[in-house]
Amino acid sequence: MRHTSGCPDCTPHADPSSAGRGLSRRSFLGRTAGVAAATFVGLAAPQLTTRVAFAATPDYTGDVVVVISFRGGFDGLSAVIPLGDPGYRAARPSIAVPPSRALPTGDRFWGLHPALGPLRPWWDAGSFGAVHAVGAPDPSRSHFSAMAEMERAAPGSSLRTGWIDRALGLRPASTVFQGASVGSSVVPQAMAGPFNELGLDGIDRFTLNGIWGDTPEAEAKDGARWAAALTALHAGIPSLAGPAAAALGAIDTTRALKTAGYTPANGARYPHAVDGGPYENSPLSAALYDVARLIRAKVGLQLVCIDYGDWDMHSDLGTVDGGRFQRRLSEWSAGVAAFATDLGTAGMSNVSLVTMSEFGRRVAENGDHGTDHGHGNAMLILGGGVVGGTVHGPWPGLGAEALDDGDLAGTTDYRDVLGEVLTSRCRHSSSDLTTVFPGRGAFAPVGAFTAKA
Amino acid sequence: MDTGAVVNEAPGTALLRLSRRHVLGLTAAAAAGVATAHAAPATAEGSLPAGVAADEVEAEGLARTGGTARTRPSATSRTAALHLIRRATYGPTPRLVADVRSRGTSAWLERQLRPASIPDPVGSTLRSLYPEAGWSIPQVYRAVGAGRIQEYSWDVMIPLGQYTVAMATWSSRQLFEVMVEFWSNHLNVANTSDGVWDNRQDYDRRVIRGHALGRFSDMLTASASHPAMLEYLNQAESTKDAPNENYGRELLELHTVGVGAGYSEAMVVDSARIMTGHTIRWDERSRHHREFVYDPSVHWTGRVRVLNFSDRNARADGRPVAQAYLRYLAHHPSTARNIARKLAVRFVSDSPSDALVNRLAAVYLAHDTSTVPVLRALFGSAEFAASSGAKVRRPYEDLVATLRALDYRLLPGSAGATRRRSGPEALYWTASDLGQAPLAWAPPNGYPDAAAAWGSAGGLVGRWNMHQGLAGGWWPAKDRIVVPDLRAMVPRRLTTYRALIDALATRLTGEPLPDNDTATVLTFLGRSPDAHVGVKDPAVTWDLVRTVGVLLDTANHQLR
Repeated sequence: MRHTSGCPDCTPHADPSSAGRGLSRRSFLGRTAGVAAATFVGLAAPQLTTRVAFAATPDYTGDVVVVISFRGGFDGLSAVIPLGDPGYRAARPSIAVPPSRALPTGDRFWGLHPALGPLRPWWDAGSFGAVHAVGAPDPSRSHFSAMAEMERAAPGSSLRTGWIDRALGLRPASTVFQGASVGSSVVPQAMAGPFNELGLDGIDRFTLNGIWGDTPEAEAKDGARWAAALTALHAGIPSLAGPAAAALGAIDTTRALKTAGYTPANGARYPHAVDGGPYENSPLSAALYDVARLIRAKVGLQLVCIDYGDWDMHSDLGTVDGGRFQRRLSEWSAGVAAFATDLGTAGMSNVSLVTMSEFGRRVAENGDHGTDHGHGNAMLILGGGVVGGTVHGPWPGLGAEALDDGDLAGTTDYRDVLGEVLTSRCRHSSSDLTTVFPGRGAFAPVGAFTAKA
Repeated sequence: MDTGAVVNEAPGTALLRLSRRHVLGLTAAAAAGVATAHAAPATAEGSLPAGVAADEVEAEGLARTGGTARTRPSATSRTAALHLIRRATYGPTPRLVADVRSRGTSAWLERQLRPASIPDPVGSTLRSLYPEAGWSIPQVYRAVGAGRIQEYSWDVMIPLGQYTVAMATWSSRQLFEVMVEFWSNHLNVANTSDGVWDNRQDYDRRVIRGHALGRFSDMLTASASHPAMLEYLNQAESTKDAPNENYGRELLELHTVGVGAGYSEAMVVDSARIMTGHTIRWDERSRHHREFVYDPSVHWTGRVRVLNFSDRNARADGRPVAQAYLRYLAHHPSTARNIARKLAVRFVSDSPSDALVNRLAAVYLAHDTSTVPVLRALFGSAEFAASSGAKVRRPYEDLVATLRALDYRLLPGSAGATRRRSGPEALYWTASDLGQAPLAWAPPNGYPDAAAAWGSAGGLVGRWNMHQGLAGGWWPAKDRIVVPDLRAMVPRRLTTYRALIDALATRLTGEPLPDNDTATVLTFLGRSPDAHVGVKDPAVTWDLVRTVGVLLDTANHQLR
């Protein structure tokens, strides 16, 4: 793969010949081409507003990777439970999930937290799984440094970019949606660097608030007026002309998506979208809903980040029936199950969803029925290419001699899991990984993903 | 009392016991090596009229200049003044433009370089409105004890960010505030981050503000013995047995000589070894606060070599070695070039010439690492004069410049502290949504300062919406802040649309738009340049918010 974007020398020029809008194919970092062209037609042809479909981006045939960041330190031991390890219950007298309540996994050693119930069909079907005892090199138990290092993913180097930015930088440039943070207008540090990812708070909110109109047609007309003005006003500013054109193209796309509306397929019910649903205001669910819309509309999404934090449960983690952990994990399961239902088996065959967290929790619970910062953790993985229904990774055990300073030891490097996603599912070569994860050395296969056909 | 840990420069020597947390006893001595409190003296409090604007007092008595675009007396002086204002401040206001032109650019700059000489009524108000920003570390713990704030919370860190954006917007010591931002990024300690909940404000006050227009050598030394930096870059946990290289490495790579200076990995280890002993301990005798201490028992001894710095480093008390090392680094030619380049990138262009960088570096070294002579040389350079419009405002600069252009004001004292603080609170979160909350860049390298790093499509949409939202007074609304009345910007005697756009652009950005942008705006409005403006035209009545909004999207406003 080659470097084609994010380079300051590639500053584009707006092309005034393109329908007076200054938008032209491959004219702005070469990234909004398909989208801008398609949406421009969309504006001119109202019938398209009921059936949104953009030209697929020809350059990319890999999976859409959805990275969900469990910020705060996810307690992987409470989610994917080593029931067969005597150390588990011994270390957690008040918060351990009783074996009788854990969901069976097909392997008596492992149980799942009942809050993962909504995803059980995917576990049984072999497209939802986990990697356990995942760790990072040079572990830190500080949220900040652990998160920063994990997203930078270049220990011992002076790189100041993030792993996602480096991965995208290796790909042919396509649309403004190629790399996106959904649910937040600000991109995470994993996307820090020269590649310009899109911070998309929400599709329906991604618009110019100066655009007014009583009807979709009036709004589209006013949008065109703004687009013309903003294109012209930024044309003379080299470092802003490209981003302005990309932004206006993205706004056209989101407006078309908003106007078209969205009905999830297969009877999927996103908890946030349903009146009175249990997670009516779930930002996670709203973000997944938007990701599904973007995937279905084929706007060129390739790598997307969603933040799902609040896992720092030093006290009152709760029980299997309720409490902070149960609620947090249930909300995740419900949203992800809706997402997978919506996209269906065919759609999910081109999606890989992975969770990450800066560290796991200590094995032993503390005096407040919670857990403190630990190390080894579980990553949850979902998608058509996932080798699911099983827990991957060598289990180090919870015996005193096996612990790493009181924590679950890390036996699988998280970069090996991500590296496998990139090579098996996203058509990156193994030599690409030396750019994405410098200093990793030899990647150990995890076996959690099948090679994409 | 077995292991010795000494609080640096505390009166007398106290021996302390070491442990992971909560051990130790010693009194509340302020951290060592840092002398100044508020860098500039506060002016008398309580004498403010309601809703004081940026630069109002400073420019008292000067006539408003808006609406006179086509008859400006001297294009050259206006251009030079505006250029300087766009770089040395967070953005022009009509009063500031008038003030700079009346004093002359050189005299105005000299005054800004002596911030204590500038009355700063809103700054004083903000200091009393945000007492947390001025708290010492023990004061934070006293507030915890009194139940006013929560331990380990963001109760001090977030108000510090709000204080920062408010000071940038309304302090009359504008260049000082710009330099506070510059150094906060150069010696970044992310606000918020782990372990600085009790000390980040003290770092801001004593390390950054205390030395923002002083000597870099002093600032560097102060940062090296401040709990915030020691915590942020893991120096606090570094010992002779297990040196943590994080601080020792960034000290070289980011704070001083830079990655190309030719140091080896072994030198990074030595850098970390030199700094062992600089750590943090809990004071348990009085009020359980954490303080900087120098702990000889964890100091690594033995010969060290970093670049051309070498020392036998034979004594357990390694403070003299560390001090000499920091002085060496601060005065290193590579450090001089790094800082000179960063200042030039900040104030001149994204790619300043080597000639300018070398010249500024020479000034830096010739003046014992003092900032003021470097700034003087920079603003006096031909390259600066030729660089008008070469910088794109980053989101935070754009936000603050927009507030200044529109003349947003803090609510008057009668609103009460809670409501008055709710304005800057909203501004802080607005900056956060734009991706540039003040002081908040998480990694140690500080927010990037070149346009290429900020060219995201989503970021630009956020900025356009911020312009429109502030023009419309939608957020923050008038319950939180004094929202300007845009109608006051419209000339009383309306003539042509061209004149209207000239007047509004001049009011907002200090000068009329270039002809092609004027034409674009008139096309946007659907008006012809020479037609007469109708009194009831939406563009100057109910739709004025969007007329102003689009003017804030012009290069006049987005570039500096």
